[in-house]
Amino acid sequence: MTAVPQTLSEGTKSKAGTSTLSRVARFAVIRLVTLFITVVIGVFLTIMIANMGGYVDEIMRSEIRERTIMRVAAMTANQEVTPEMRKKLTEDMIKLEEKRLGLDTPFMVRAFRYLGNALQLNLGRAVNMISDSGSRSVRAIILERLPATLLLMGTSELILFFSSVFIALSLSRNYGSIWDKIVIALSPTSAAPPWFYGIFFILIFAALLKILPFGGMVDAPPPTNPVEYTLSLLKHLILPGASLIFSSLFLSIYNWRTFFLIYSSEDYVEMAKAKGLASRDIERRYILRPTLPTIITNFALLVISLWTGATITETVFLWPGLGRTLYQAIGLYDTPVIVGSTIIYAYLLAVTVFILDFVYALVDPRVKVGGSGQ
Amino acid sequence: MKQNKLMLVLGLIVIASMVLSACGGGAATQAPTQAQPTQPAATEAPTVAPTEAPTEAPTATPTEAPRTTRKGGWLDEIVFTVVDAASAVTQLKAGAIDIYANGLSSADLPSIKEAGLEYATANGLYYDLLFNPAEFKNGELNPFSNRKIREAMNWLVDRNYINQEVYAGGALPKWFAITTQFPDYADLADTARALEAKYAYNPDKAKEVITAEMEAMGAKLVDGKWTYNGKPVTLIFLIRPDSDGTRKPIGDYVANQLESIGFTVDRQYKKSSEASPIWIGSQPDEGKWHLYTAAWSATILDRDQSNIFQEMYLPTSAQGIPVFLANKPDPEFQKVGDDLANAKYNTLEERHELMKRALELSLQDSLQVFLIDGKNYIPYVKGLQTTADLAAGVEGAQVWPYTTRWMDKEGGQLKWATQGLFGDPWNPIGGSNWAYDQGAIRATQSGDVMYDPFTGLVWPLRIEKAEVVAQEGLPIGKTHDWVDLKFEKEIKVPADAWVDWNAKDQKFITVGEKFPDGLTAKRKTTVYYPADLFKTVKWHDGSPVSLGDFIMTLIMTFDRAKQESPIYDEQAVPTFELFIQDFKGYKIVSTDPLVIEYYSDTYQLDAELNIPVLWPTYSFGEGAWDVLAIANLAEANGELAYSTDKAGQKQIEWTSFVGGPSLEILAKYLDKALSESYIPYAPTMSQYVTPEEAKARYEALKAWYGEHNHFWVGTGPYYLDKAFLTEKSLTLKHFADYPDLADRWSNFGEPKLADVTLDGPGQVKIGEEATFEVAVTFKDEPYPQAEIKQVKYLLYNAKNEIVSVADAQFVEDGKYTITLSAEDTAKLEAGSNKLEVAVVPLVVSVPTFSSIDFVTAP
Repeated sequence: MTAVPQTLSEGTKSKAGTSTLSRVARFAVIRLVTLFITVVIGVFLTIMIANMGGYVDEIMRSEIRERTIMRVAAMTANQEVTPEMRKKLTEDMIKLEEKRLGLDTPFMVRAFRYLGNALQLNLGRAVNMISDSGSRSVRAIILERLPATLLLMGTSELILFFSSVFIALSLSRNYGSIWDKIVIALSPTSAAPPWFYGIFFILIFAALLKILPFGGMVDAPPPTNPVEYTLSLLKHLILPGASLIFSSLFLSIYNWRTFFLIYSSEDYVEMAKAKGLASRDIERRYILRPTLPTIITNFALLVISLWTGATITETVFLWPGLGRTLYQAIGLYDTPVIVGSTIIYAYLLAVTVFILDFVYALVDPRVKVGGSGQ
Repeated sequence: MKQNKLMLVLGLIVIASMVLSACGGGAATQAPTQAQPTQPAATEAPTVAPTEAPTEAPTATPTEAPRTTRKGGWLDEIVFTVVDAASAVTQLKAGAIDIYANGLSSADLPSIKEAGLEYATANGLYYDLLFNPAEFKNGELNPFSNRKIREAMNWLVDRNYINQEVYAGGALPKWFAITTQFPDYADLADTARALEAKYAYNPDKAKEVITAEMEAMGAKLVDGKWTYNGKPVTLIFLIRPDSDGTRKPIGDYVANQLESIGFTVDRQYKKSSEASPIWIGSQPDEGKWHLYTAAWSATILDRDQSNIFQEMYLPTSAQGIPVFLANKPDPEFQKVGDDLANAKYNTLEERHELMKRALELSLQDSLQVFLIDGKNYIPYVKGLQTTADLAAGVEGAQVWPYTTRWMDKEGGQLKWATQGLFGDPWNPIGGSNWAYDQGAIRATQSGDVMYDPFTGLVWPLRIEKAEVVAQEGLPIGKTHDWVDLKFEKEIKVPADAWVDWNAKDQKFITVGEKFPDGLTAKRKTTVYYPADLFKTVKWHDGSPVSLGDFIMTLIMTFDRAKQESPIYDEQAVPTFELFIQDFKGYKIVSTDPLVIEYYSDTYQLDAELNIPVLWPTYSFGEGAWDVLAIANLAEANGELAYSTDKAGQKQIEWTSFVGGPSLEILAKYLDKALSESYIPYAPTMSQYVTPEEAKARYEALKAWYGEHNHFWVGTGPYYLDKAFLTEKSLTLKHFADYPDLADRWSNFGEPKLADVTLDGPGQVKIGEEATFEVAVTFKDEPYPQAEIKQVKYLLYNAKNEIVSVADAQFVEDGKYTITLSAEDTAKLEAGSNKLEVAVVPLVVSVPTFSSIDFVTAP
């Protein structure tokens, strides 16, 4: 008697397992296709916007002519060059430059070429920019700047994130305390962007006190000893890192504090308190657990946002990060670099969103992958 | 509640304090300014108060420097780093850097002075109004299609006001296309001053002329606004708010002036990328714009600007921009401009007359109304001495590595900051041309000649002397004794001279082979090198300079532009064609001491500038034959390319001698070359290079690479010790084996700008003779007559019109007299008159003006 139900039970389980698997698989496929289509559209729109629908070609042609005229004038200064030869030289050089920049190919052909290559992560060659090592490879340009960005953004954002969450949690448990009030009072400081603090920090610590450097990533010339190099790097990291942290710290704490306060006042938390559970247990089991999906989402998005760098702060501190690279690329209409940076961000975002769907189900029993709520 | 209110107040106070701080006065680290790469180049000229120039010059007095036993540069080490312009002054004040070589704009001049820093000057951009001269297809009236209205714009704008208000008085008002601090202006100083007086700010005259012309064109002034066919005449004014930010206030000022005389102005603020498709990309008769705040640059001290009138005004301009093609100039101006551009004059005097006429006609045409010769300021700390080229500043001066030093001290470290570093890969053939990179490269290289930073002439650096033989009738003159100038009826090119290159056989083609009937040239230059050249001059890796380096230079001139060559690069073709059209031959007359003859049909007006580059200095740096040999191997094998064009086409790396993936490839070919004692272009080079020399060269290069991790090897006073590409820093170190003493170029410490004072009677009787005294000094010492080109005076009447122009009489060094004859004073009316003197030195191409007012009475 027991065998049958057992068998039935296993069969039911197996069916349920198969059904779950197919549900998850179907969900995964649909999600991946949707995300891919989104990426394709996003990247194509980026290409069109970055090139103003092809109008950038006209801008570049005019700029090439203007630049070449100046160059020829400098080249032929102090020389008896006939006007005809000067004109020929100018036109020949313009033609070569237009060819180099691909302006001899129609824009739409180039646009789809950029898209195809980008989707295959074939990042190609930049048209105007070079990597620090002198390569036009977009991969080299991006990868070279990645460590600097990760160092600055990673350090500051992680410190900011974790310190905010833990301080906020603590404040939410001490609602109305003097520290709580101080943080609330200071939260408007985040109205100013990081570079604003950066300038002040430079003035105070570099110009007046002369204890920290004005900018750059290491001393000039860079120390050859690895230990000294690391110390120099850390010294240069202090001001930009502090600017990024300080500009967002209080508002971030304030946000998280409010968020935790809402959860802290749930009935089940009050119940736990009434039951006399330890405050640490209440925090961990009754507050942090239900807020985990939000915390994870924020953290995941923060991690991929490191990719974009902090353009202006990097500029103020002459930090060789990705933010500056992207900014320069936009200014120089360097489509391959813009597209390269975008496609990597797009893929990272898509993968993160995809993974988060599964992570939610793992950390929150109320969420079911591909489920419709039954 | 009270607590909440308290918190609210506290929060508001914090925000308010931040807002106030943000609005407060600017410390040097202001906003996040994106560093704007400055491409090679510079810019501009003077008109108004050149007497003020000395205050802007470096303060060094190296002429008095004691003799030294030190060789090469004065400093032990120069550390290059990148600093944003916005924080340069603060960093200088804090001692973080010693010089900001890239320079700052006029707007920063007050903060430089306030910080108590020294500074040198260089040309900035030069600014003007460019008019659309076309008649519009849409039937709308374009006032600027009328030449007289364009001419009247000169009276409508107050250049001095712009200089004071926009450039803090640090720039120079400008009327002409020629650059005010270049030799041509100095040569034409009297004519220029007279025209500047004629076209001085006079809004009433501008209004009178414009009104007459507008009415003649059918426009009507209705309620103070110009209308045409019942519609307001609206001028589309393209104003650039970007660049250095000064074009916006200029544009607004000019727009205000135009509105004040009845025009409606549509101010379109457009940055470069938005404006250029309109003013360059559109056809002028489409009527998309009327005027534009243009700016140009002049980064090389050009001694011959005779082509500039054609370039800047005429439809024959090589610029190929539609707006120039649309201009319909006066036929005389067209002829004068074309004749000057095509060098259709037989003597320098004839040229001088053409230039004078062109100055006048250019103001009448006024396709462009020039406004300002901008300046850049290069700040540095007290105690430092350096030299700035009049056009290109410190970074662009060939001489800076030889003169930059700590006052009264040998050795030491210099912290050199600039706008960027390693903007492009470094290679001497097609590498980085960024001004900041070239600034560092200059210190690592030597050359045949040294460019005089104050006159644009050259002095022998590695060569000993030169002879120039020119065809009779060519307008060539000379200034210095080290060059010999002769004229001959016909210059025959010897049959054994090399005139071309056979890239397939890797042999030179002789004149006899290519031109069996013989060949003539317009000029021949013979360059003599010292007897100990190959013993005393060394590359940084220790190898002595050899004849192979020179032969390689000659080969490389041709090889990259030849399709049969394994290193052919179409990017090299346009400049090669420019060269080959006039090139007539090289001949090595003697190998030790080295004597080389050069034949060409192209020439320059100064004999000193007719010296060809035979030294192994290429367009972007020096190159020893062995280094180029391995780079050529890498290019021939499709792994590297000298130019970005070819690298892009072939999808390979752009050759860099200082870092990146190139290094491994070059190291690989160095090993290969070393193992084979490889001699490049063996059919030719093996006549001058032995396998032993080749081996020794490669061994020295390998040791160098092992120690410094780069292939940048020069012969200059400093060598590149380390390059840090990601950190944007590099270190130059003193090259102890440099052959010349450190004080060899000390006389270039400071431009010898003349101080001029004019003294004489305050009152002169009409019809009677009057005498004035002129004192010309430099640092309170009389200016030697041998260094003075001319001292001219200009007599203005009470209406500011020129009455007389003549030379002052020489009395003794530093003293001249001006005697106004009774006939001269008879031409004056009762009132206040002005006597102005223009002193043009030979040793610096900046004239000095001084004037005195006197009253005439019957």
